[in-house]
Amino acid sequence: MPGRTDWADDDEPDLATSIPPPQVTKNKDGTETVITIFINEDGKRVKRTQRIKRTVIKKKENPRVAERRQWAKIGPEAGKPPGPRPDTTTLGENIIFRPVVGFKSGQQQEKNPEEDKKADALKKMQIKCRICQGDHFTTKCPFKDTMAPEGEAAGPPPDMDERMGGGGAEGGLGGGIGGSYVPPHMRKGAGASSGGERMGGKFERDDLATLRVTNVSEFAEENDLREIFERHGRVTRVFLAKDRDTGRAKGFAFVSYADRSDAARACEKVDGYGFGHLILRVEFAKKST
Amino acid sequence: MRPILLSGHERALTQVKFSKEGDLLFSVSKDHIICAWYSANGERFGAYKGHQGALWTVDVDPTTTFLASGGADNTIRLWEVRTGRLLKTWEFTTSIKRVEFSEDGRQLLGVTEKRMNQLSTVIVYDIKQDVEAEQGDEPSLRIVVDELPKVTVAGFSYLNKYIITGHEDGSVSQYDAKSGEMLHNAFSHDDGMQVTDLQWSADRTYFITSSKDKTAKLHAADSLEVMKTYPTDTPLNSAAITPDPVQYVILGGGQAAMDVTTTSARQGKFEARFYHKIFEEEIGRVRGHFGPLNYVAVDPTGKCYASGGEDGYVRVHHFDESYYEFRYEVEREREQGIRF
Repeated sequence: MPGRTDWADDDEPDLATSIPPPQVTKNKDGTETVITIFINEDGKRVKRTQRIKRTVIKKKENPRVAERRQWAKIGPEAGKPPGPRPDTTTLGENIIFRPVVGFKSGQQQEKNPEEDKKADALKKMQIKCRICQGDHFTTKCPFKDTMAPEGEAAGPPPDMDERMGGGGAEGGLGGGIGGSYVPPHMRKGAGASSGGERMGGKFERDDLATLRVTNVSEFAEENDLREIFERHGRVTRVFLAKDRDTGRAKGFAFVSYADRSDAARACEKVDGYGFGHLILRVEFAKKST
Repeated sequence: MRPILLSGHERALTQVKFSKEGDLLFSVSKDHIICAWYSANGERFGAYKGHQGALWTVDVDPTTTFLASGGADNTIRLWEVRTGRLLKTWEFTTSIKRVEFSEDGRQLLGVTEKRMNQLSTVIVYDIKQDVEAEQGDEPSLRIVVDELPKVTVAGFSYLNKYIITGHEDGSVSQYDAKSGEMLHNAFSHDDGMQVTDLQWSADRTYFITSSKDKTAKLHAADSLEVMKTYPTDTPLNSAAITPDPVQYVILGGGQAAMDVTTTSARQGKFEARFYHKIFEEEIGRVRGHFGPLNYVAVDPTGKCYASGGEDGYVRVHHFDESYYEFRYEVEREREQGIRF
C-alpha cells in the first residue's frame, strides 16, 4: 500500500479493501491448497479455501484431425464462433444401451403396452366430487360440511366404485358410508383386484424370481455379478450389500430376474460357481416379512 | 450414451458419411444441402450449397480433401471439403443414386438411375489429387447395366479390384473394376426386394447389404458368397459393419415412409438394431428417431455411429463402456485362453 506510513492509519474500510495475495500451500498428497480472500458482490470479505489436484491428461490426436478442427467454418456457419450452436445441435435424452445375449425384441414392446394402459387408465379416471359433482376430491369439496354426499345411503355409484378400485390410494378416501374410515382390507373390491392387492402381488412376484447369493467375495462389484447372472436370462435388479464405511461387499447379494424360470435355471447353474476365490451359494430369496 | 441431435436439414436424410478419421460427418438430405459436422461435439462445420434437387448420396475421400455428392438434379458434384468450393460438375440424363470413392481416393464411381429409357450405368472417374487441377470430363470406365434390373447401390472392393453392385431385384453382382466385365451375379436377397445399402468392412474384403426383404447379409467380395444373414422384422434401409475391436453390425430401417403416419412410433420399429456379426444374433437396439432410419454409418475409428432418419435428424451416438465390454461366453473364454 503506497502512502501508508503508520499502522494507526490502517482503519476499518482500508482493511476491507486490502486483499492479500492468494496463499498457495503444497500438500503431501500432491494437492495444492489455495486460500483466496476476495470481496463479493455484497461488499463482504470472503475467504475461499480450495484444494486443487492437478492431473496432466495426455491425449494423442491425429494431426490431420487437429488441423481440421482449426479450419475456418464455411457456408452458413462462416464467421461464427467455435462450439456447437444451439439452433443446429442439441443433446438428446440419455439412452441406455447395454448389449445382451439373446436380446428379445419383445422385451421392450411387451412392457410398453402396459405403460400405455396405465396412462389410459389415468386418463379415464377423472376426479369427481360426490357432493357437488365438481372436479375435485370429495374431501376437498367446499360444501363438505354443509351437504351430505349424493346418494349416500346407496353408497357411491357403481361406476365410481370401479374407478376407485383402479385408483388405489383414493379408494379409501370416501369409500365408506358417511365418510367414516374403512380399513383397506374391508374396502369394496379389496378381495378381487384392487390397487392395494396388486401392490402386494407385485412384491410377491418380484420375490419369486429373486435369488439370494451368499459367500460373495468382498471385492466383488455389482457389474461382475450382473455379468454372471445375465447369461441365464434378463436380470432386472442386482443388489450387492456393501459396507458403508469401506465400500467393500458384505458377502451377499440379491439378483432379480424378469422370469422365474430363468431364475430357477440360474439358481441351479450358478450355485457352486467359483467366483473370486470363493464358491458362490445361490438360493431363492425367502419372502421378506 | 446421450445422442447428439443434428438438425441442419429440413427434409429427410438420405445418407451420412464419416471421414476416414471419424472426426467429420457429412450428411445429405432431400433439401438440396450437404452439411458437414464435427462428430465429437456436433458442431456444424459448414454447408455446401449448389445442388438443384434432392440429394441421394455423398462420399468423402480418404484424405478428407474431396467431397462428392449426387442427387436428383442429375449431377455429380465434386467439392473441396475445406473451403466449400465447387470443383467440378458432371451432368447426366438421370439422377444419381450412389457415389463412392475407391479405397485410395483416386477413383470415384457414380450410379445413374434407370429411367426414361435410360439404362442404369456405373461410371468411374479418375480423380486428380489436386484441388487446383481441372478434373476430366470423360469417365475412365462406363458400365452399362442392360441385362440386369436397375442398380441401386455400388462400391469398390479392396485394391479397386471389383465393383460390386446391388440391384432392385435383390441381386448382387461383381464387375471387374478395370475392364467393366461382369464376373459374378448372385441372388442373395428375396426376389424383387431391392438392395437398399451396401457398406464395406474396414479392409473391403467383405461387405454387408441390406434389403427390403427384412434381412441384411454379409458377403465375401471375391465369391459373393453369403457368409452371414441377419433377419429382422422390418424392411431395412441401411446396414453398417462396426470396426475393431467389436464385432457387431448395425442395421437401420423401419416401415416405408408413406405408411408412417398410420402407426405409432413404437410400432414403426424406428430403431437401430445391433447384431453380433459372427453369431448373427440381435444384442440390442437404440431408439430415438420418429421415422425410419434411412442410413446408418459407423465412425471408422469405432468411437461413435450416426443415423440419419426420415424425420430430418441426424443422431450421433458416442458409444459407452458397455458397448466395448460386451462379450459372448465363448469370446471371453478364448480371450482368457490367450492370456494364460
